[in-house]
Amino acid sequence: MPYVELHARSAFSFLRGGSLPEALAAEAARLEMPALALCDRDGLYGTVRLHMSGRECGVRALVGCELTMEDGVVVPVLVQTRAGYRALCGLLTTAHLRAEKGEGRVAWGELAGAADGLVALTGDEEGPVRRAWSERGPAAAAEAGARLASIFGRGRLHVEVQRHLVAGEERCNRFLVDWARAAGLPLLATNGVLHADPQARAVVDVFTCLRHHTTLDAAGRRLAPNAERHLKGARAMGELFADLPEAVENTERLAAGLEFTLANLGYRFPDHPVPAGETQDSFLRKMTLFGAQQRYGSVVGQVRRQLERELALIAKLGFSGYFLIVWDLCSFARERGSLVQGRGSAANSAVCYALGITAVDPIESKLLFERFLSEGRTDWPDIDLDLPSGERREELIQEVYRRYGRRGAAMTANVITYRGKSTMREVGKVLGFADDALDRFSSLFHGGDLPQTLELGEQLRMAGVSGSHPRLAALLDTCRRVRGLPRHLGQHSGGMVLSAGGLDQFVPLENARMPGRSVLQWDKSDIEDMGLLKVDLLGLGMMAALQDAVDICAQRGRPVDLARLPKDDPAVFRMMQEADTVGVFQVESRAQMSTLPRMKPQNFYDLAVEVAIIRPGPIQGDAVNPYLKRRSGAEPVTYPDERARPILERTLGVVLFQEQILRLAMELGGFSAAEADELRRAIGFTRSQERLERMKGKLEGAFRRNAVSEPAIAYLIKSLASFALYGFPESHAISFALIAYASAWIKVHHPAAFYASLLNCQPMGFYSPASLVQDGRRHGITFLPVCVLCSDARCRVESDAAVRLGLGSLRGVRAQAVDSMLAERRLRPFDSLADFLRRARFSPAERRVLAGAGALNALAGDRRSALWAADAFHDNDELLRGAGQEGEEALSPLERMTLLERQRADYEHLSLTAGAHPMRLARPMLQGVTTAAALRDARPGGRVRICGSVITRQRPGTAKGFCFITLEDETGFANAIVRPRLFEECRLAINMEPALLITGRLQNEQGVIHVMAEEITGMPDLGFPAQASHDYR
Amino acid sequence: MRYAVLAVPDFALHALRRGDPSLGGRAVALVAGDGSRARVTEASPEAHGVLRGLAATLAMSRCPGIVLRTRDPEAETESHRLLVAAAFTLSPRVESTRAGCCTVDLRGAEPARTQALMRLRAAELAAAGLPARIGAGDTPLLASYAARCAEPVLVVADAAAFLAPLPVDFAEPTPAQGEILRGWGIATLGALTALPKAEVGRRLGADGVLLWERAAGQATRVLRHVEPARSFAAQWAYEPPVESIEPLFFKLRRYAERVALELRGAALVAERLSLTLLLEDGGDHRREFRLPEPCADVDGWLRVLGDHLATVRTDARVAGVRLVAAPARPPQKQEGLFDTGLRDPASFWENLARVAAVVGDGRVGTPLPADTHRPDAFTLERPAETVAPCGAAPVHPPCGPTLRRFRPPWPVRVACEAGSPASLEGGRLGGRVLAAAGPWRSSGGWWGPEAWEVETWQVELAAGGVYQLARSGDTWCVEGMLD
Repeated sequence: MPYVELHARSAFSFLRGGSLPEALAAEAARLEMPALALCDRDGLYGTVRLHMSGRECGVRALVGCELTMEDGVVVPVLVQTRAGYRALCGLLTTAHLRAEKGEGRVAWGELAGAADGLVALTGDEEGPVRRAWSERGPAAAAEAGARLASIFGRGRLHVEVQRHLVAGEERCNRFLVDWARAAGLPLLATNGVLHADPQARAVVDVFTCLRHHTTLDAAGRRLAPNAERHLKGARAMGELFADLPEAVENTERLAAGLEFTLANLGYRFPDHPVPAGETQDSFLRKMTLFGAQQRYGSVVGQVRRQLERELALIAKLGFSGYFLIVWDLCSFARERGSLVQGRGSAANSAVCYALGITAVDPIESKLLFERFLSEGRTDWPDIDLDLPSGERREELIQEVYRRYGRRGAAMTANVITYRGKSTMREVGKVLGFADDALDRFSSLFHGGDLPQTLELGEQLRMAGVSGSHPRLAALLDTCRRVRGLPRHLGQHSGGMVLSAGGLDQFVPLENARMPGRSVLQWDKSDIEDMGLLKVDLLGLGMMAALQDAVDICAQRGRPVDLARLPKDDPAVFRMMQEADTVGVFQVESRAQMSTLPRMKPQNFYDLAVEVAIIRPGPIQGDAVNPYLKRRSGAEPVTYPDERARPILERTLGVVLFQEQILRLAMELGGFSAAEADELRRAIGFTRSQERLERMKGKLEGAFRRNAVSEPAIAYLIKSLASFALYGFPESHAISFALIAYASAWIKVHHPAAFYASLLNCQPMGFYSPASLVQDGRRHGITFLPVCVLCSDARCRVESDAAVRLGLGSLRGVRAQAVDSMLAERRLRPFDSLADFLRRARFSPAERRVLAGAGALNALAGDRRSALWAADAFHDNDELLRGAGQEGEEALSPLERMTLLERQRADYEHLSLTAGAHPMRLARPMLQGVTTAAALRDARPGGRVRICGSVITRQRPGTAKGFCFITLEDETGFANAIVRPRLFEECRLAINMEPALLITGRLQNEQGVIHVMAEEITGMPDLGFPAQASHDYR
Repeated sequence: MRYAVLAVPDFALHALRRGDPSLGGRAVALVAGDGSRARVTEASPEAHGVLRGLAATLAMSRCPGIVLRTRDPEAETESHRLLVAAAFTLSPRVESTRAGCCTVDLRGAEPARTQALMRLRAAELAAAGLPARIGAGDTPLLASYAARCAEPVLVVADAAAFLAPLPVDFAEPTPAQGEILRGWGIATLGALTALPKAEVGRRLGADGVLLWERAAGQATRVLRHVEPARSFAAQWAYEPPVESIEPLFFKLRRYAERVALELRGAALVAERLSLTLLLEDGGDHRREFRLPEPCADVDGWLRVLGDHLATVRTDARVAGVRLVAAPARPPQKQEGLFDTGLRDPASFWENLARVAAVVGDGRVGTPLPADTHRPDAFTLERPAETVAPCGAAPVHPPCGPTLRRFRPPWPVRVACEAGSPASLEGGRLGGRVLAAAGPWRSSGGWWGPEAWEVETWQVELAAGGVYQLARSGDTWCVEGMLD
């Protein structure tokens, strides 16, 4: 007798289920279950995962959901038809959109209106019938059941019976059986599954505690009574319900009647409105050719052929409307003066280039169109748009909502999972581990200094948990099980999904935490799997900074057209070759700056390579050193196969880009465009290692059939695997290189605008404002202090070499008060401190900040005098205000601030100082310490001591436990490398101290200078201000 | 010299160390705040590089091996009582100003004798693990400033010269005032009083004027006198519990000294002593001693107590001690109009205590079902003095046969067929199983060594009777009989 589980919850019920849908599908397959219905709480969050994994292992994924009703009871429903699915999505959307996140409740009246195409179960202990029975007795239970029957009718309501081998449960089951028979309703056996296998019961118990904010010791009967709520096969369920065989038989019968699966979702992308007489295809063609005329001058030859080829394919695949909509969004952004640039594989398309969606000419750059779109492709191509972060991007997002409606568009979800530190903290608390041990664990392993070189048990020992702790084994095992399970739903950084006829017919929508945003219940992989279209509207801090820099230059009468920058400016490349790239997009990190002097980029393509090469993919694939050696001539250029020469020629025989992998698969492996596309998806799909392994096997076989040598196959397969970690498409690298080049060009030619714009767009980039200012000072830029007479809200360029810091940089001063003061100043300049204090509407605390930061110096002479005067001003006290009239103010008896006091005040109020670096003051007290600048002249191999503020701590997963620390002093940056053992010895000092003193051996390879650390201690506390650092990001 | 202040710097830390001899000579710091916000509030001199306000994690980084502890309110109360007792030996007018600080009104006292007494008291307190500093001056405020600078005794003669170099924090500005003064660059009391008082008041308001006066040592106040102790008792804990008499005796002497000092300060002596050893297993060992001669002499007490302790053997380690130097009798309870209560609660509890002394303290109480799925698990609660009224009737009252539990359960061997019990064999029960119902499974405690898993069956035996069986692992037992 077959059995189908029709009531299972996964971890996507968020703290109400203990296994991933994939685990449920695999277990169902093992039990030879033909189908499985997932009924997660108040959502369809896990349905796609079950659908996809079920498809792979031969289990038909049925769609269901547990609905929390307005009175708190929970009704499980199963989807019978597509209409039912749409109704369910609508029902969930309505419930979620009118409530706070996670608080959506379905009204009974709404359920009645959406019942067609749905089948209801009476539910488990939280269901209306069993809850009424336990709380109010049989009569109330029958009444609750009758209400369900009136909504769904007798044919579509099943009385659910569960047996979890708990003493006393038969009493309720007897009632259910009697009542079902009396009411003529079919019985349905389910196991109310909460976890795939018995071992995962621990996860459910831990989640129960997290939900109730308690510990396992205190949770009592809220924990599961036993481990029986796992998936059980036909035999086990048949034995359990030997006295009710029809209840088991009905599961198969009902499953067969549930005709809907996600295979027939029926999604359609909206059309773009076109003028009368035009179709989507004809209008796209018209706009593309018009755009190409603007870009290329004339549309002939190769350009024409490429455009025609692309347009034909786009029309054939039915994507014309999509291109037009993205084109329209770009136009909308530009009309509002916003920069916008397509990134990713869209840059492989000449149509995108012609439409102004992307800025890279794929014909000139010889980019592979098939990486973007190919004949065999069934899913939508990615077009990601980079926009200035902040208001301009939000304006475009809200425009999309306005055009397509609240139920027609939504942000893509981002599933936040339990990770190392959060898992340990939450599970540890539930298991009753002491807070101090968990705190120590968090401090020792803070930020992202994982992946670890130590086993978890060893890490816990270091945090003070004894190896013989009686609960250690449970902690380790539960952490392992919990890690990777969904914790909550967040928002994707910018992906918006649109649909014709209402997105809420295809997937439930709910409110995001951010006001004005709604989010759908699937993440980007789900969306791709379901064939939904996502347009990424990504906020890029550097785009905002470039926009600001362009505006500053224009205001100063020196307009800059980013689209027409010369791409071969020697000064720009010289700066990069010297790794002088603080603040420059993509090439400013410690790792990039360590590569630039070896790479020595000489042209734009070199920059694209530089952008792409310092990524986990190429690093893991051992591509970096061979490329750099071949580039410097230290190693001959070779190819894994002679047929690969045209593909790898530009990258000196090394695989650096995704396109190269795809072309190699096509040229050397004979892959079709569709197969190449499948390969692309496997590389990009990080969730399934299995999928990638299958493709690797397929490609390996294809290479062999085409007589590729074994060493070449090994090399190419290794490259493929490393790209799955993280590798750039060439088009994406070129798109980013455009922004990187633009930012470098601005830094070289308009440095004041460059630094001002970076400061205006914080937070962004790799370096803190304090480090940016110090870098600017080293480049001859003077940073003028904030001043109420001269400063604007934002930083302003006063001359080619001077930036006036903005009042908006002050901490603890409201933007509204600054705006109000600026409005007063525009009416009439302030002529005295008394005049300023009278007319500017700052609070006493804000006045102190202004005075302490020196913003009142122009009116008061010095900071202390300003403080003395500002504190004497009482806005609401007329009597005292009278005493504060100008001319009557006594001189300040306070002493002027010392240099150290001024620096401290700067950091306190601005987080930076426009003056000298704090280390300059510390220098006389640091005997035998080499400055960062002096390292260049120090003897390689010699022992040196460096000291400075920690601005970077990095421990990348590719570095095998090595840690990289960057210190900043008054002369620049000094980099140190810490071996894993020393890192573990000094972990606390490295992670916690704001300034470090490091002793070690100097290394200088081709101008790349490091100190190989041997001793690390915190810098003696000399009372100097500390600054923020960029850790483990 | 009109007032004296006895103050213990880093009082909470010293109080903690007094109560825990294992902390002596080690780097110790007190921390406050949760998680990453935990900060050092006090640190011992051995904790090099660890300053107040430092993050706990940084303290660990800078001083490897440092012991981080949170405040111990009980230890602080005990130590403060010692300080108050010492103050009462200087004058009968004592104010308990705050934890670790007492102010004494010395008016009328003979200065030379009082100064000598202050030195003697400071030495005694230091020997008792509480290094107090004693300052004296013409106002309570000046005396408190002097106490902060004393090593260990300081009498202020020239107030202005004394105050000028002191840090401005001595005047205890509010955080907001402190922030403003920092901004002004005012670091000392002298610098603050150098500013015109009116201008300070204009900027900081009336509170600013008070601050200025405090900085000038001018502020005075009326002391709130406290009564000397009326009950003379001490209780402390041992963490970890002790097994030998030496550590037990070490602390016993320390606390007995305080009780004796309190008695002396109140001009009293002890008639009887009551000593209770609180054992690790929850039990206790109590003994009363009638002193041969009433006294407040610690050595005399300890002779009596020591003789007894040398002969005592307990089943568990000693987790704490209670010493009472004056008997006290609990009051009779007055019955409420509608209460169903005990007629003589004191006798009831005394009798209960006697029972507990025989069967063990953890074995007396009212059994209540424990909040767990574990079958037959219960907790023992303290018996209620009044019987609560009945609640509403349950929706589903118990039904079916009653289980009469065998305590302890009877071990039995069970032969199974097709997963069900088929026959039983045991010393008190056996035979063929006619019918079996079950299994019911329950499990829990998987997160520790107390993990349990029980499978329960109900069987009807051919010989008659229905019994409940339980299997845990491979072990079966008969839990009881169903009526």
